[in-house]
This record gives sequence, C-alpha cells and structure tokens, in this order.
Amino acid sequence: MREITLSQAVNEALAEEMRRDETVFIMGEDVAEAGTPFKVLSGLVEEFGTSRVVDTPIAEPGFVGIAVGAAMTGTRPVVDLMFGDFLYLVMDQLCNQAAKQHYMSGGKLKVPMVLRTNLGATRRSAAQHSQSLHALVAHIPGVKVAMPSSAYEAKGLMKTAIRDDNPVVIFEDKLMYNDKAPVPEEEYLIPFGKAEVLREGSDITLIGTSSMVQVCQKAAETLAGEGISAEVIDPRTLVPLDEATLLASARKTSRVIVVDEGHQSYGITGEIAGRINEKAFYHLDAPVLRMGAMDVPVPFSPALEDITVPSPEAVVEKARKLVAGELIHAA
Amino acid sequence: MPLDVIMPALGMAQDTGHIVAWHKSPGEAVAEGDVLFEVETDKATMEVEAQGAGYLTDVAAEAGSDVPVGQVIARISDTAEGSGDAGEAAPAPPSAPESESDDLPEGHGVIMPTLGMAQDTGLLVGWLKELGDAVGEDDILFEVETDKSTAEVPAGASGYLAAQLAQPGEEVPVGQVIAILTAEAPDKTVSRSAGEAPKAAAPAPAEKAEAAPKPAQTRSEEPATRAPQPAPAQAGRILASPKARRLALEQGLDLSRLAEAGYPQPYHAKDIETLKSLPDPQAQAAASGAALQLTATAQGAEQAAFLHWAEAEGSAPLAQDALWAAFACAALREATGAEGPLAVEVSAARGASHAVIDADLAPISALESVEPEGAPSLRLRDLTASRITGLRLGAPDCPALTVMAEGETLTITLDFTAAQLSEAAAISLLTGFAARLEDPLRQLL
Repeated sequence: MREITLSQAVNEALAEEMRRDETVFIMGEDVAEAGTPFKVLSGLVEEFGTSRVVDTPIAEPGFVGIAVGAAMTGTRPVVDLMFGDFLYLVMDQLCNQAAKQHYMSGGKLKVPMVLRTNLGATRRSAAQHSQSLHALVAHIPGVKVAMPSSAYEAKGLMKTAIRDDNPVVIFEDKLMYNDKAPVPEEEYLIPFGKAEVLREGSDITLIGTSSMVQVCQKAAETLAGEGISAEVIDPRTLVPLDEATLLASARKTSRVIVVDEGHQSYGITGEIAGRINEKAFYHLDAPVLRMGAMDVPVPFSPALEDITVPSPEAVVEKARKLVAGELIHAA
Repeated sequence: MPLDVIMPALGMAQDTGHIVAWHKSPGEAVAEGDVLFEVETDKATMEVEAQGAGYLTDVAAEAGSDVPVGQVIARISDTAEGSGDAGEAAPAPPSAPESESDDLPEGHGVIMPTLGMAQDTGLLVGWLKELGDAVGEDDILFEVETDKSTAEVPAGASGYLAAQLAQPGEEVPVGQVIAILTAEAPDKTVSRSAGEAPKAAAPAPAEKAEAAPKPAQTRSEEPATRAPQPAPAQAGRILASPKARRLALEQGLDLSRLAEAGYPQPYHAKDIETLKSLPDPQAQAAASGAALQLTATAQGAEQAAFLHWAEAEGSAPLAQDALWAAFACAALREATGAEGPLAVEVSAARGASHAVIDADLAPISALESVEPEGAPSLRLRDLTASRITGLRLGAPDCPALTVMAEGETLTITLDFTAAQLSEAAAISLLTGFAARLEDPLRQLL
C-alpha cells in the first residue's frame, strides 16, 4: 500500500469530499494561497477556487460564527483554526451556538460544521501555541471530538466528520503532519465511536490519544522486550467514546494507563480512568493511572518543554511498576 | 431552671473571648436562638445564640471585656429579675476551677474544646497522658469524639498533668475544665468523673507517676454509659487489588492468610495462586485429629508395697484398678483444670470394662462402678498382666492411658489427639499419672 503523510491524507479527504458534495467548503486564515502554515491545504484553492477555499481576516470568533450560520443554512463548512490554542477565542460560537442549536431548535436546525485544528507541544512554539485543548471541547455536550493518530485515521475520520450532521472538532497533532502511513487509494471512512486495538497484549492496557498513540506503541515495544505484554488502544474519537472496547481490554489485562497530551488535571485521562474504575473495578489489579501533560504552561525552553509531555520511557516505567504490583500511592 | 450563659470556646487554642457587644439588655425577654452577644476570637467574630427562652439576667461581663472560656457571663432566667445572685453567676475562671470548694491543684485548666459548630458536649475517648506525666504544650493530652470525628487535643500549655476531671466514656460539656496542668510536678493528683460534685472528690494519692494506680477512681455513682472507643483497626486492613479481592471471594479464600504467612502487601491476582498453595486451615484442623502418643516409664515396686500396706492396715482390700482410676482422674483434673465430673473407663487385658466417675474425689474403697455410657473423659487400659510392651492405637475417641509391665518397670502410653488435649496438658497428665504410680502416697496428699 502507498504511504502518504498526514498532511496529504487530510488534503485528500477534503478534496474528495469537496468533489463529492459541492456544499462542502473551507474557510480560515491563510487557507487559500498559503495552504496553511503547515501546508496541509496546498493545491486545494487551485482546484476549487477562492469561493470554496476562503481566506478570512484574522478574526476567529467572526469566521467561526459565519461558519455556524453557513452550516445552519445548508452548507458543510470546514473551518480551519490555525492553532488549537485559538479555541479560547471561539468558545462561544462553538460551545454556546454550534453545540446547542440542534437541541434548542427542537431538532429543526443542524450545524454540520467541521472545525479543523491541532494540538501538541514540543514544537518550540511556547505557551500560547503548544496547548492540547481537546478536553475543553469534549466537555461540552453537542460537539463531537475526533483525535486521529495517523495519516490513515486523519483521512478516514475527516471524511466521516464532514458527512456528520453535528459540529465536529478534529484535532491533528501538529508534529505529525509529515509522518507517513499506509493509506489506501480507494475511498474509506472510519466510523466515530469505534476504538482501534493497535496491538494486542495481556498484561497491561495502554490507552493513548492522538500524539500519545505513538508514545504508547514505543512503550509497548520496550515492554515486550522485558516480557511484559502491553495492549495499545487508540479511541480515535473522544466523543463518542468507544467505552466497550476500553472496558473489555481493562477486564482482560487488569491494568490500565491512560496517556493523553492534554493537561493531566481535569482532563481526558481522568475521564477515561474514571469510567474504567466505575465499570471494570472488580477486574482491576492495580489503580488506573493517568499520564497527561504537566499542569504548567508549556515552556518555551526545549529542555523543559520536552519533560512536560509523557514520553515512552515514562510510560514504560509506570507500566513496570503496575505489572510488578508495586504499592502505588498507598493511602 | 435558669440556664447559664457561658463564654463558648470557638477556636481550638482559645483561652478567652472578647465580648464585642451585647445584643440583649439585662431583663430583656430572650427566645431560643436569639443572638445574645458577639464574641471576637483570633480568627473571627461570632454571634452567640441563646440556648433557651427566658429573660437575660445576672450579666456578669461588660462589652469590651475579655472573659475566660467556660465562664458563666449571664443567665437566662424564668423571670426578668433573675436570681439576683450575680456573684454566683460568675464562677471562677478555668485557671482555678472550683478551687474555692475543692482541693484541686492550682494550675492551667484544659477545657473540652468545641470541635463542631453545633456541639454541646464532647465524648472523652481516652487520656493519652497519665496522671503525673510531664506534658509539653503540643503533646496530645486526650482524644475527643464528636458527631463527626475523633480528634486529638493538645495540652495547649506545658506542665504536669495533676488532675483528670473526666473519665473515658463520659460526655463532657464544651468549655468544662477536664484537666489541670501544674507548673511543678504535683505531690498529689486527682482523678474523677466529670459529673461529680467537686466536694465529693478525694485526691488519689500518687507520689510518682509510675506508682500511680491506673485511674479506677471513677467515683461517679453511675458507670460511664459509653465505653471508650478503641481506634478502628485500620492497621488490620489488607491491601489488595479489587481483582484479587474478587478472585478470593469467588474461590472462598481468605486474603488475611497471606498476611499471616508473611507475604508482603499489596496483593494482586497472581498472589491468589500463592494463597491457594498455602496449607488449608481446615486441613490443619483435620490434622489436629491425628493420633499423638506420649510414653513414660515408672517403677511399680512402691505401688505393690502400698497395696500390701493398705491391706495390712485392715482396710477393705483396695482394687488396683480403682486405685489407678483415682490416679488417672486426679492427673487429668490437674492437667486440664476440669471442674465437671470426669468419667474414667477402666479395662484390663481380660474382662469387661467399667467406668468410674470422679475417682479422685471419693474414698478409693468406696468407688462404685457404673456401666460405660458414651465416651468417657479418659480411658485407662491395664495390660500389665499381658505380654504386650508397646502399642499404637491410632486416634482414640478420648485420651487413653495404657499401662504395660516389664518386670517392675511399668510403661505407660498416652494416646490422644490435639483436639482432645493440648501438648502441655498431655505431658502433665502422663507425668502426673506416672508419678502417682511410682509413689502412691502422692495421691493421698
């Protein structure tokens, strides 16, 4: 199978959907000529023109509001939010308007909008361009949240997102844009709410999202060399969450570490750990551990920035302790 | 009944309260829950409410004054006039509780603190210092239980614990002095109940703390209604994963056996295999039914002489089996401390067996045989007339003594199971019996 980058996969997904459905259009900062700072959208404006690949002013609340309105009136906008950190600017349009229109109109309105944005630290972009804020959105009922962890997932999830009648936020890992993965030439969709078991194991389950899937896979590789069989699961979408697959794995291995690049406190790791605790408690042989980013603004200093994010080594160390049955945080 | 209004203890380390203002005037009608006055402490200003309805009387502290915690500062009386006895309404501060009528030592009074907002009394769980002990300011003096929690209360001042004015298990009103700390080592200490009238108190002599008798001096007429609550056995909680607990439950296994066997906690699913391989306590119980045997030897010459002597003395001829039954019964009673009737079943190499009840308590010549009925306390088998010199019976249904002879030497075996006799009792029984055979006069003593 051919291998393409995550950038190319997203680009393909958008082009395919825009060809298939003429109501699909792109808007955002530097999306047309520039093709975004990450060059994800390069070439689209040539094919679809500036009426379907629309450059906007630097005014996120404004153009996201325009997208919500456009979606409510029959189009399928794909809004490009250059950095995930800018979510703070659009919270009202996204969480108060887009997320609630269907509910508050008694089902008469739909907001089939996709907000494309990114997450991930260690790109030396400092505290305001390095955050992973998916937990903020996942907290709000009415918004779906997709977290692709490879080129293959990025394409399949993007196509599903565009066809979904609800607002969907897709977080791409900005360090992964040039990572290649096998992507079939023929069309495919990846359903929401269906986790992927990337590696089967029997001793411990590593649940990773987006950028942390690679971290979990590397950790599993190391652990395998030590005779510890780790299962790696990528939930793919946080909303909806494929609880059944996660719980089945937790029941099988009895030990779970949840790894996510959002801040650890009040984050995705706590939510998933909580659900496993509630629903697989009597199958657990160790506390479910959370591993998120440190609860600090992401440092600009590379040396400091790198240690704020879970690493394969850190995951391996925790996994060893769980499997060895060490007393963890004894009361 | 007039109600005393006291200065409440609003903080843990609060000795006095500053009266900011009175919200009621003397003689004014007061309803329960009305704010009487405002108190300022280190941390906050609080409004103090009336605990009952009546008229505010006998106000003994002005606004602006600092009043020791626990001191009565007013009364709520049935009439606007009150008792008119304002002096009585202002008892001594806690530094000298009831000293005018009592021989309590002088020193710093430690009061029952307020641990909850709506708390009237505290249950004294226990004293953590003995009378006469030297006490540091931060040392925990006693434990108090309230509705919500158990708290350790520090002394708040250093000195020597000279008086314990409440006993464990007693409910003590908040603000009441329950301990007195003296600056010098006390030459006498006092221990009494909280409800006790001061005049009835008598100091308990105690020259030294070590020599001080444990405070059994609860002089209250009625015993403490609630026993001191021992700290919950948190230490006994076994640390184990939910899965390990579930597996143990499903398989009927007890995780505490892993702890008893010395395996380190916490326990996980894999430890269940270890637990299963531990010896089963029920198998051990079954092992207590295994046959055990002790053997002793004794010289029989004295016994023959004793029997001859007894006969020569003209008493009725003593039967050897009756004599032995008496010996065995006495040895068994000595070994086990049994008080109830003991039946010894006696049999010889030939002839039917018969039982003797309490052979050690009646004159030997007067012993009566009864038909054996059920399992006796002890079985005594006389094989001296046979050529058998050793036997192993297996687990008997009751301890069994067997006497065999080789010339003058008697060999005695005791067959028993651990469920019937402890090792020590078995040794005592056999030793006692052998000694009596060797020296029959021992039985008469």
